Amino acid sequence: MRRAYFKANWIAALLVAPQLLIIFVFFYWPASQALYWSLTLEQPWGGGNTWVGFENFRTLLSDAYYWNSVRVSFVFAIASTALAMSMALVLALFADRQLRGYKFFRVGMIWPYAIAAPAVGLAFRFVFNPHAGILSYINEVLPGFWDPTVNGTQAVIMVVVAGAWKSIAYNFIFFLAALQSIPRSLIEASAMDGAGPMRRMRDLQLPLIAPTFFFILVINITDSFTDSFGIVDVLTGGGPARATDLLVYKIYADGFRGFDYSGAAAQSVILMVLVMALTFVQFRYIERRVHYT
Amino acid sequence: MIERTPVLNALTHVILVTGLLLLLFPVWIAFVAATHDMTAVNTAPVELWPGDQFLVNLEQAWAISDMGTKFTNTVIVAVGVVVGKIAVACITAFSLVFFNYRGRMLVFWLVFITLMLPLEVRIVPTYAVAANALSPFQAMLDATGLTALIATLSGVQVNLEWNLLNSYTGLILPLVATATGTFLYRQFFLTIPDELVEAAKMDGAGPIRFLIDVLIPLSRTNIAALATIMFVYAWNQYLWPLLIITDRANYGMVAVELGTLVPDQFTTGGGTPTWHLAMAGTLIVMVPPIVVVVLMQRWFVRGLINTDK
Amino acid sequence: MTMKLACSVAALAIAAAGSVGAQDRVKFEYWYGLTGDLGAVVLETCNRFNASQDKYEAVCIGQDGYDQAVQNTIAAFRANQHPTLLQSFDAGTADLMLSGEFYPVHKLMADTGIEVDWDDYFPGIANYYSASTGEFFSMPWNSSTPVYYFNKDHFAAAGITEAPLTWEGMEAAFYALRDSGQACALAYAPSTWIDLEQFSMVHNVPVASNDNGYAGLDTELLFNTTQHVQHMENIQRWIGEGVAQIRTAQSGMTARDSFVSGECSIFFSSIADHNTVHKLAPSFAWDVQIIPVYEGFARHNTVVGGASLWVLSGKTDAEYEAAANYLAFLATKPEQQFLLENTGYIPVTKSTYDALLAEGFYAREPFINRDIAMKSLTYTEPTNLTRGIRLGSFIQIRAEWVNEVQAALAGQKTMQEALDTAVARGNDLLDRFERTYAGKTFP
Repeated sequence: MRRAYFKANWIAALLVAPQLLIIFVFFYWPASQALYWSLTLEQPWGGGNTWVGFENFRTLLSDAYYWNSVRVSFVFAIASTALAMSMALVLALFADRQLRGYKFFRVGMIWPYAIAAPAVGLAFRFVFNPHAGILSYINEVLPGFWDPTVNGTQAVIMVVVAGAWKSIAYNFIFFLAALQSIPRSLIEASAMDGAGPMRRMRDLQLPLIAPTFFFILVINITDSFTDSFGIVDVLTGGGPARATDLLVYKIYADGFRGFDYSGAAAQSVILMVLVMALTFVQFRYIERRVHYT
Repeated sequence: MIERTPVLNALTHVILVTGLLLLLFPVWIAFVAATHDMTAVNTAPVELWPGDQFLVNLEQAWAISDMGTKFTNTVIVAVGVVVGKIAVACITAFSLVFFNYRGRMLVFWLVFITLMLPLEVRIVPTYAVAANALSPFQAMLDATGLTALIATLSGVQVNLEWNLLNSYTGLILPLVATATGTFLYRQFFLTIPDELVEAAKMDGAGPIRFLIDVLIPLSRTNIAALATIMFVYAWNQYLWPLLIITDRANYGMVAVELGTLVPDQFTTGGGTPTWHLAMAGTLIVMVPPIVVVVLMQRWFVRGLINTDK
Repeated sequence: MTMKLACSVAALAIAAAGSVGAQDRVKFEYWYGLTGDLGAVVLETCNRFNASQDKYEAVCIGQDGYDQAVQNTIAAFRANQHPTLLQSFDAGTADLMLSGEFYPVHKLMADTGIEVDWDDYFPGIANYYSASTGEFFSMPWNSSTPVYYFNKDHFAAAGITEAPLTWEGMEAAFYALRDSGQACALAYAPSTWIDLEQFSMVHNVPVASNDNGYAGLDTELLFNTTQHVQHMENIQRWIGEGVAQIRTAQSGMTARDSFVSGECSIFFSSIADHNTVHKLAPSFAWDVQIIPVYEGFARHNTVVGGASLWVLSGKTDAEYEAAANYLAFLATKPEQQFLLENTGYIPVTKSTYDALLAEGFYAREPFINRDIAMKSLTYTEPTNLTRGIRLGSFIQIRAEWVNEVQAALAGQKTMQEALDTAVARGNDLLDRFERTYAGKTFP
């Protein structure tokens, strides 16, 4: 890729040192202790532990419900990422056209990201409530059709929509920033050549924001695997009948709430390996198609 | 704009307005809930139009939650986190993109992996580090026998201790590391053409000069986007402050205070569903992030320098 | 009430600042889980305690939920930064008991020379929080037990004169309500606490072997073999026939919301909700009744729910003395009454209850009939099966039950299959728990 580099590597080392130091102290050191528990049965109050080797992993991998969690997590990650990215991209492309009042739109679009978690849960409960919410109107036409408390598929849809909702705002702001850094001169030159706005979006703007697109893709996939327990906890509690039991929610429920530190640690290891593999695949196969300069 | 496109303009408006309505609908619900009294909020069907209790609820939420002093604390922490994150992300990515050394990929992955294990999972050992941030180094000295060696040679017993509980440092420092920010900056720096670097080297500018004079001005919109996101992120921090701040009077954060407004929802029940107050509190807490979003608008300006080849 | 609280907090803060230099007082920390208006009540007890004397100062810190309170305390404990007092819920206590990292309140009170009449506590509460020898581990405070709430107007319209005490009577009531035009008779939310744990208590049937776990760690779950199965099958049938409808927080409306809005006629919950329903001011007459039993079973006592206060190890004698005084303060009649007046909880000692009865406390709105909970708790002397439940990994076992019952209600399997699976998976969890604490026993 790049051919021109600075030579003074001691400066390079100095520049990465602060971040590495912080993550060593606040992430790797504690995380390694937590991960060690995956090979033991750890007593929560620190009374000691018993070495059990890979037993925690064997238990998980031989559990059909655990594989169900893996499947649900993939469905959730793919669906919410696709929804959040496509919505955000369309909105950003149009907001970037800078028609009158666009500043107001920008503030409005980012708003959902600023709202605190308890309000999100309450608001979505109102929206999805089968008896009195917005979707209860479906039930007036088709009685009993919408009921995410019994129907697992509908519960997944609910969690996907709520999860995507928050990411749209996040994606929007980065897409918009990328679109805004495309120089006006390029767009004007392209317009001069007779390219209409839609064609400019496709042929000029989209390729130019590919690096940001890739960034958002990787972050969205990663976040949907590792940062989605809040939404699940508020909306479904993993149910009905484990339909929305995401891997990270299970870790949270078992480890944080149920004090099974060893089981949660083993699940964390599996989740990390899974997300790392996914990220690696994305860097290996998708980043190749991104042109940076 | 560049040309007249009335149809497309109309479509643009339709898409943006629809998108905005969809995105803001839940916010509207929260607002409506904050304008009714408790009975109305808890009855079906859901109210869709505001009631007349807004000011009453705001006042009551403000009075019982003691938000006042918490705002200052949270601003200090959020600004600290934003500045720290942007600085750390910028210099890390700069090092990764503009230098060629072995281990670059390793550093990138080490930073990136931190996204993959949420705090909830590692909360117990992370708390131990916050209680003594130097404990990892002490443990390493102990393990390698250096503590004993130093004690024998100089008679000094090494006992490293740095307690971060109940301090701004404890609230800010662990949040300063940022995989997202580093990744974003990497993506941006990769789009900087080689010619710019060559030109800078020709002028005899060193790497730091290049970073300050060329890259930072170019990355303005990225900084604005990252700052907006990170400010909101820091503002809404909940679990970490809840854990490490027991001196709530001096170091309390707003999200934790908001948590105390949220009604109790446990199996044995008995809490009053004061969602109207929780929602009023949510709106109060949401004001500063929105102000920041509005202020950051100024930075979203069309790039002036052609970075393309 | 919240405004009143806020004002008195401010007044007390001024009073406290004026009276004594805070540095002279012995401070101790208390981490609690309750939030919302209940959390405000906890904080108020601390203010009241601090204003009542000038030797000790309670520093009370809300941790936003029982599970977070326990989790954060564990994290702090392992770094030796933990509080002296912890408010812990039932499911969090098995680990704490086996760790041994607590100071039994019975011993604490004896060591600090504070006299407590332990026999004054209701047996349904005492047994839950004490060793087999009868010594209290933790201090009962916010206590409740389940009842059911019913719409008197609906009952009258359906010609039901007496709130049923048997499930057979309950079923008849469901159909009478339906025939009177009431679409939703029972607002149902799956709850292990009510459907499994308290249900097994009143029927005197086991949830698990070893006297529900009290007698050892090598415990096996038994609830797939008892009347509980029949009961869950009945609930499934009632839902299928439409007389019962699922109303959970996840569906946007809790069972309580559906009841208060007049949509459903009956819901089961803790007596603590008595206060909440009053505050929500439904537009109809309503009352509470003790939970039903099936015909052919002799009714037994229910047990206490809620949380209790644990004293943790590793603190100084001065802090223990301060904490002991706070606990003794909470147990006094005025303080119990303060809790009762501001929440829906129940008295924990017989003397307080008797005094309140004598004063006509329970003859006044909004407290009328709230003491039906005492009838439920004291219905019989606790047997080996109705002392309570002491299981490890209890939170996960409850989750297994909920998930499997949901699977049965969604028609994925029969109720018997669902409960069999929940028991098998729960037993695996119990086995893991036993091996985690190899060689240890409940004190």
